[in-house]
Amino acid sequence: MPDFSLTAEQESLRDAARKFARTEMAPKAAECDKSARFPEEIYRKAWELGLMNLNVPTEYGGSGLGALEQCLIVEELAYACGGMTTSIIANCLALEPILLGGTAEQKSRWLNPFCAEYHLASFCLTEPGGGSDAAGLQTRARKDGDGYVLSGEKCFITNGPHASLFTVFATLDPSLRSKGIAAFIVPGDAPGIVRGKDEDKMGHRASSTSTIRFEGVRIPGAQRLGGEQDGFSIAMRTLDQTRTPIGALATGIAQAALDHSARYSLERKSFGKVIAEHQAIQIKLANMAQAVHAARLLTWHAAWSIDHGHPGTLESSIAKCFASDAALRVADEAIQIFGGYGYMRDYPVEKLMRDAKLTQIYEGSNEIQRIVTARELLRQYG
Amino acid sequence: MEIVVLIKPIPEAESRLRATPDGRGLEPEGVKFVLAGYDESAVEQALLLKESLPGSRVHAVSFGPARCEETLRAAIALGADRATWVEGPPEGSDDPVLAARALAAALQTVPHDLVLGGKQAGDDEEGIVPGAVAELLGIPSFGYVTDLRSSGPSGLTFLRPTEAGVERWEAPLPCVVGLQQAWNDPRSAKLPNILKSRKAPILKVDWPTTSKALALEAKPRSIGEKFELPAPRTGAKMIEFKTPEEAAEKLVRLLREEAKVFP
Ligand SMILES: Cc1cc2nc3c(=O)[nH]c(=O)nc-3n(C[C@H](O)[C@H](O)[C@H](O)COP(=O)(O)OP(=O)(O)OC[C@H]3O[C@@H](n4cnc5c(N)ncnc54)[C@H](O)[C@@H]3O)c2cc1C
Repeated sequence: MPDFSLTAEQESLRDAARKFARTEMAPKAAECDKSARFPEEIYRKAWELGLMNLNVPTEYGGSGLGALEQCLIVEELAYACGGMTTSIIANCLALEPILLGGTAEQKSRWLNPFCAEYHLASFCLTEPGGGSDAAGLQTRARKDGDGYVLSGEKCFITNGPHASLFTVFATLDPSLRSKGIAAFIVPGDAPGIVRGKDEDKMGHRASSTSTIRFEGVRIPGAQRLGGEQDGFSIAMRTLDQTRTPIGALATGIAQAALDHSARYSLERKSFGKVIAEHQAIQIKLANMAQAVHAARLLTWHAAWSIDHGHPGTLESSIAKCFASDAALRVADEAIQIFGGYGYMRDYPVEKLMRDAKLTQIYEGSNEIQRIVTARELLRQYG
Repeated sequence: MEIVVLIKPIPEAESRLRATPDGRGLEPEGVKFVLAGYDESAVEQALLLKESLPGSRVHAVSFGPARCEETLRAAIALGADRATWVEGPPEGSDDPVLAARALAAALQTVPHDLVLGGKQAGDDEEGIVPGAVAELLGIPSFGYVTDLRSSGPSGLTFLRPTEAGVERWEAPLPCVVGLQQAWNDPRSAKLPNILKSRKAPILKVDWPTTSKALALEAKPRSIGEKFELPAPRTGAKMIEFKTPEEAAEKLVRLLREEAKVFP
């Protein structure tokens, strides 16, 4: 039988994240959402406490946590604010290619100074011409002496306006598709980097997102991760690691929607009784609770698979897809339970729906997750 | 400076509290006990002093049941150098004098230039232990303290906010100091330190040792009679008004006629 109890260590990590989320993040969530403010003071504090570079081993100055511990923390943070959480965990996404594809020398050269101070990094895969079809990316890497010159544009890059390090995927030969892609470490101050304006988003408004244009950015050969054909594989293996925490992020949003709904249903009266006494509301709450519970368990299982050395491709795809669909559904029902108040910006639940929506789109859209799931599934039969 | 900080696990603020079936105490099942309130400020104060006086050490000490261990680990994660669990009697005890006697006995073998604690525990708020420990150790005790600083090798300065103003004090070492809550914005533990704290050793003084040292029967001298939750509060009454005069007039009428607080 699997054991679902957390160790004392896991509980204390979760408690620390919960305390940070509820005392530092939650009080500013509505304000940052309304004004689309990037709360740097919160991100700095998250870094100080070790909540930022969760996946980076301690020898390089990170927190060195396993997948399950990361999920426990991310769910707590997202319970308070999905947008802030996206910005806090973007470093995990951006640094994972270095962890997966970097040599020992590259890791200590780039990770140590990066983690020793507060810095943000961005993962640059998506392009204006398409995100899902990553093998078709068009940003070019041209050989130049012992190095490369990058030109092209990336879009929707989380923390793009603030990052001091980029991991960038670019092709040496677009006709080779996935086999032509290489991955590069690019310092934020490299000449030729042009950052676009901060996008005006539906949700996750405490996070910032922009285009990053590379106008002939010169990169020494020592900043290439893996071989010239390894970039696509590094990108996909990175997403295998980071999809599961997105499941946890969605679960946190869903749990918040459920908690708001249950509390409100015990206060709001209609037809002479609290609405929690109407069976229609009870059924909604029950369905929401089932969805949250299933999302969490799928996420934990995917994390467990990764922590036990499995690639976790299938499990993390299922978890991310299910949890994000659940989050949107649960947030939608939360608004319904709040009635007209739910539609008002002064109440917390409409933000949850806007924040939940993104989890179906980024880190591989849910259509792509279903393609991955079906492919992995059919492989077992074919 | 050798700084001892006395801490007690208290129910987390959001806990749902229930009485035990016999109605004499708090049901611990399902309640999360944490380092919080005045004690959290005391740990912060200990760490601030340690940081201002190189070579100082902070030793966290907790008396009570096994849940003390988690509270001590929380103090280690924040920066305490050592921790001692003084085990309480197996049947449990809410007796503050017993706690003080057990702690004072344990402190016989723990170096202490300064003993810090919350001015009272955040749960029962009795405020007896720090003063009683000082009495048993034969050293002075000060309560309601904020902004404690070292004034050289053998003294301290601190403030005591009172209703009449803020008092400025100087005190000799060793002494016991009970601290106010939340004036020093207690720090949070960093994740790597939380992980390290899980593996840190915790010294234990077991109950037989304590009861022998105190020549005590294993019996607390005060016991709870009845433990019940306060009656639920009834809803607030909102006064509708257009002018402040109207609000005041309506409020006075309600206080006089409904609440009957004055004739
Ligand atoms: C706020 C935000 C932050 C982001 N942060 C980052 C970041 O930090 N780094 C980064 O690299 N990217 C980031 N992204 C990009 C994100 O990962 C992409 O938006 C996503 O992968 C989808 O790509 P696309 O937008 O180009 O949509 P498209 O690929 O154009 O897809 C359009 C629609 O078609 C569907 N579709 C596409 N192909 C298929 C198919 N074969 N079968 C069925 N359906 C299909 C998609 O699911 C989608 O519904 C972010 C996006 C947002 C909105």
